[in-house]
Amino acid sequence: MPVSSIFTSRRTVLRAAGAGAVALGLAGCKSAVDEKKSSPAGASGQPKKGGTLQIGSLTDFTPALLFTQNAFTAVHRLVFNTLTSYDPKTLQPQPQLAKSWQVAADGKSVTFQLREGVKFHNGRPFTADDVVFAINNLKDPKRSAQLRATAAVVQEIQVVNPLEVTLKLAHPVSNLFDLFEFMIITDKDSVEEAVTGKKLIGTGPFVFKSWTPGASLSFAKNPEYFIPERPYFDGVEVRIIPNNDSLVSALRGKQVQLAIGLNGRDVAPVKTDPQFTVQQYDTGSGAVYVGANVTVKPFDDKRVRQAISYAINRERIVQQSLGGFGLPSSAPWPKSSPAYSDATAKRYPHDPERAKALLAEAGVSNLDVPLAYLNTSTVIAQMIQFDLQQVGIKTTLEPLDPAKFQAQLIGQTMPALWAGSHGFAQLHPATLAVSAYPFNEAKNTSKFSDPAYTEIVQKAWRQPDADSPAAKAAYQDLSEVLLDRQFVIDLVVLANLYVADKSLQGVGQNTYASLVLDDAYLA
Amino acid sequence: MATDVLSAAPSPGPVPAPAHAPGAGPGPAAAAKPRRRIRNRYLRGLMTPRGIIGLALVGVLLGAGLAAPLLTSHDPNFQSADALVGPGSAGHLYGTDEIGRDLLSRLLYSIRTDLMVVLIAVPLGLLIGGALALVAVTHRVADVAVQRLFDLLLSFPSLILGLTVTAIAGFGAGSIVTVIVLIEIPSFGRMLRGAILVHRDREYAVAARIGGAGPLRLLTRHVLPNAADPVVVQVAVAMSVAVILEGAMSFIGIGIRPPDASLGGMLSASRPYLEDHPFYALGPLVVITALVVGLNLIAEALNRGARR
Repeated sequence: MPVSSIFTSRRTVLRAAGAGAVALGLAGCKSAVDEKKSSPAGASGQPKKGGTLQIGSLTDFTPALLFTQNAFTAVHRLVFNTLTSYDPKTLQPQPQLAKSWQVAADGKSVTFQLREGVKFHNGRPFTADDVVFAINNLKDPKRSAQLRATAAVVQEIQVVNPLEVTLKLAHPVSNLFDLFEFMIITDKDSVEEAVTGKKLIGTGPFVFKSWTPGASLSFAKNPEYFIPERPYFDGVEVRIIPNNDSLVSALRGKQVQLAIGLNGRDVAPVKTDPQFTVQQYDTGSGAVYVGANVTVKPFDDKRVRQAISYAINRERIVQQSLGGFGLPSSAPWPKSSPAYSDATAKRYPHDPERAKALLAEAGVSNLDVPLAYLNTSTVIAQMIQFDLQQVGIKTTLEPLDPAKFQAQLIGQTMPALWAGSHGFAQLHPATLAVSAYPFNEAKNTSKFSDPAYTEIVQKAWRQPDADSPAAKAAYQDLSEVLLDRQFVIDLVVLANLYVADKSLQGVGQNTYASLVLDDAYLA
Repeated sequence: MATDVLSAAPSPGPVPAPAHAPGAGPGPAAAAKPRRRIRNRYLRGLMTPRGIIGLALVGVLLGAGLAAPLLTSHDPNFQSADALVGPGSAGHLYGTDEIGRDLLSRLLYSIRTDLMVVLIAVPLGLLIGGALALVAVTHRVADVAVQRLFDLLLSFPSLILGLTVTAIAGFGAGSIVTVIVLIEIPSFGRMLRGAILVHRDREYAVAARIGGAGPLRLLTRHVLPNAADPVVVQVAVAMSVAVILEGAMSFIGIGIRPPDASLGGMLSASRPYLEDHPFYALGPLVVITALVVGLNLIAEALNRGARR
């Protein structure tokens, strides 16, 4: 059922409400590029019930960031649910806590029918009031939710009855369902305890038991989960192992069955080991890029920025620093994005001669500028530095720790050049241009502003139908303007990797890379 | 290195003073006639098997570091397409790292960087620490002030101090030198202060004072040369501590600025490849170990020589 019909016609499309459809939707959470050894269901074919899954995570839970997409992904879809969830292959929303919905033809309102009989972990039934709370909560600046701009478009919320709610929008937005994929439904009474990590109450497959900062999180099965017979596991333990090598060792030593957060380089020792499976998603890990501060001369000249784009060898970064996992691309989009095209991905091949010619044309020589980078990606920074040096741009590497990097990114205080990675290109393309700090049309780290860019972004964002030819054309325009202006020079679309013991089956993620274990079991 | 010391030693002549300052003028030695006792206590200590091994280890590495441009034709920062090739392949004697840089030249240049940091930082620490010790022995109030300053510096674990300095002063070789200096100041200062206080009240010092020696002459001619023994040993110990500290700071990413090679940085970068490419980690590991063991052997040899 194509999503266009939901958006374009008054005809309301009722979603199948059966649990089977939900299960299907969740199972569909595997990506289109899930190409690595993701082995089929266990030889026996029958999922096994019971047992506790041990997960190793590089990062710890940060409760203050509960309502954002952040590095810790093993809580959002374990404890909570969302109204809808995408099938990542098609970006079609599938029912979750909402069993059906109707979008008005003008794209300015949406009505949800909620699933009945769903209970929070504290026994309270889930109703329309919880949806109202969730939307208002995301609008609150102190939650720093990346999709706040989209939540803010919801002007009025009408509760029709406890199981039906209508949202009125200020203007149509093409990324509306990105919001419902993003927005976790939490118990409204305990939200202040949730953001301090004391109490997490949702409707999800697992009940939060405890969090020991820096050490572990523990979850137990939710016996009243609204999908019958799910989840299979009796419990989930997440161990925080902040060192990449130790995490790989823990996996090999069978202390954990699933490692999350590893990069391509880390998995080299287990890549060829038949004991383990490596699942690769093109969503959730974002893309490596070089940003240019356009207020620093000569980076105000787009030819200089384009020269950088030609100078960097993207394939070599994938091969040498990412262990071969990732897509070299000059555009920010993963292959599953509606804005992806081969032509835009390959727009800037590695061509040092052309880079030199562009620099000469711009009259630039003897450049020596700082290049800030996140101190966890020293290797990529050194490769960028080397490639730039080959075309005559000398750089001094300035490492920043993650907190400082983030602060400078948001505060627009980056030096001439910086290397980092950005997310939010995996959903509807407008989400990137109105949400991600490097791209945000209203205020971005590069201090880039251009009426043409603003116009294109707004046009792409305000499309009432995300799949219409007009919307697709707007996404193409967005790609073109980004590729021409190059204030963000995209290098590699990263792969999100799950390294697991081969007995672990059915692990999935949503498009925000939140871990989904509804169908997971140990064969 | 060991033979250099031996051949430099013979120089007949009267022994000027009962005690020698560190590295004091060469005394008559055993080179001309074997089995004659070496008069300089430090040299005597170094000419034991322990000392010779230490000198050889440090000397070979120092020489390799200094001669790095002669020993390898590869630019240590040049990246090639041959990533992680094993020793001997593609024209790389000791293979390449994950982004195709020649490991041998990186290793040699990192010894250079390391020794440069150590050789600047330790003498600086000795100088400042020693000066503070001299201030401390002049007056009781100064003594209390200096002692509390030492306490303050000692209360920081070295890596915490490293993180703090890096956060304030930015990162790079300058910060490593600063951290090593800050750590060495109290150890040199306390040691020298203690030794001066002990020797100042010894009979020979009292005798010199009665003989009319002023405070300055007493200090420079009599007390300091004798109080120097533990400090000489401490110099070697401090160097080995500095090597470890440089390695540790670069290992956790607050040391030498990339892309320049450093021992700790190489070790840190090699971790993901421990199993598949063990040679990568082995190089910096062997060098750090050899430097630290060598310097400790020298310290031990000097210590034994001084006590005999």
